[in-house]
Amino acid sequence: MVGLVRAATVIALKDLSLELRTKTAFASGLVFAVLVLAILFFSRDPTAVASRDIAPGALWVTFTFASILGLNRAFVLEHEQRAMDAILLAPIPRSAIFWGKFAGNLVFVGTIEAVSIPLFVVFYDVAVWPYLPSLLLVIALATVAFVAVGTLFSAIAVRTQYAEMMLPLLLLPFLVPPLVGGVQLTARVLDGRPLSDLGGWLRLIGGFDLAFVTLAALLFPVVLED
Amino acid sequence: MQTRVTRWSNRSHVVVARRVPVPVVATRGLARRYGYRPVLRDVSLELYAGQALLLVGPNGAGKTTLIRVLAGLLRPSAGTVERHAPAGLVGHDAMLYPVLTAAENLRFFARLYGGDCLSRVEPLLERIGLADRAHDRVATFSRGMTQRLGIARALLHAPTLLLLDEPLSGLDDKNRQLVLALLTALRDDGAALLVVSHQLEGFAGVASHMARLADTKLGPVVALDGRDPSAVFRELGA
Repeated sequence: MVGLVRAATVIALKDLSLELRTKTAFASGLVFAVLVLAILFFSRDPTAVASRDIAPGALWVTFTFASILGLNRAFVLEHEQRAMDAILLAPIPRSAIFWGKFAGNLVFVGTIEAVSIPLFVVFYDVAVWPYLPSLLLVIALATVAFVAVGTLFSAIAVRTQYAEMMLPLLLLPFLVPPLVGGVQLTARVLDGRPLSDLGGWLRLIGGFDLAFVTLAALLFPVVLED
Repeated sequence: MQTRVTRWSNRSHVVVARRVPVPVVATRGLARRYGYRPVLRDVSLELYAGQALLLVGPNGAGKTTLIRVLAGLLRPSAGTVERHAPAGLVGHDAMLYPVLTAAENLRFFARLYGGDCLSRVEPLLERIGLADRAHDRVATFSRGMTQRLGIARALLHAPTLLLLDEPLSGLDDKNRQLVLALLTALRDDGAALLVVSHQLEGFAGVASHMARLADTKLGPVVALDGRDPSAVFRELGA
């Protein structure tokens, strides 16, 4: 039997290779990110609301919806010609499929986030450089919870008739806690508060990471049952 | 032929070892339902190494469901399935990634199977007549070429149980002969084959046995003994 780490790596590399080949999810995610950042920026009254007041919310709305576009595609290619059946026949632990998909999705969402941050700086005139390590930690923590539950629900949604509509419906209620944490922490970090002052929020998001990743990894093999 | 060594003992010492043939796959009282609708009922079947069972039956009889249960993709609702070998599956869909090339598809699945599967990629592409298209995307392939590549994918781990659902669909005469010759060679090498097909005439030289699945139940498994499957098909009351 092929080991879990090796099988997960093979699956993640295949997913990234498919995305590099087509670039459909990345291109649509990126276009969406630019649009959301721009629309939210121009929708405020600059005499009444400072751009940095809405910046944390704008950043996380952008991350969330741009990433859902990618998560929606995570299992579509497996579904088109039932390639998942061939993967399930391979002598690999079924949890390796989750970890492979999770890793591939993390790289995809991370790339969308990495491209969105400079755009965010340009639009919202926020000085992120002094706080970059703290900001990256906050983004990484919230992203892990987001991608774990997104990977699980993407596998469920692809088997329904209206997969692209179903994923946000299933996913968004579960994203409220980590997203609220992400917005709150981002606002405080951009205000210059040190991470040592933010222990409560960090522990909350860390707890969601642990719970979501564990539950998603445990439930994923059940979701694959026909 | 695969064998299982059965040992037993009296109180003081092991008496003897007995060798009994072991089916590559065996089902006992297998049933499968979708919701409340039964698709398979009380299916008992044994398939041994070197046998090729041609399974026939009307559309919706449960043939594909039986293949998916035997492959391990579906759980039986009742009964047991014992599989003593890894299965290779050729289904209605090729189970490939259209965006990847033929070689990339096979290499991906070979890495998941591990062992020396990667070394079989090139020979398999040669064997199914796609070596010259190895670096073309599957999206550019005809239905027949995709079908042949799907067969190569199923053979990557040299399975001793091969489950084929309409393996000749979409193939022209030349490639039909190529696939039939490949299946005959696999059977002669000791693989057990279970083939679902409506194109009986092609399987005269391949199938050793035949059975009919209808109304959720499997009929008797009949040895062909060189007879034409179409003639036996009529005998089975189909």
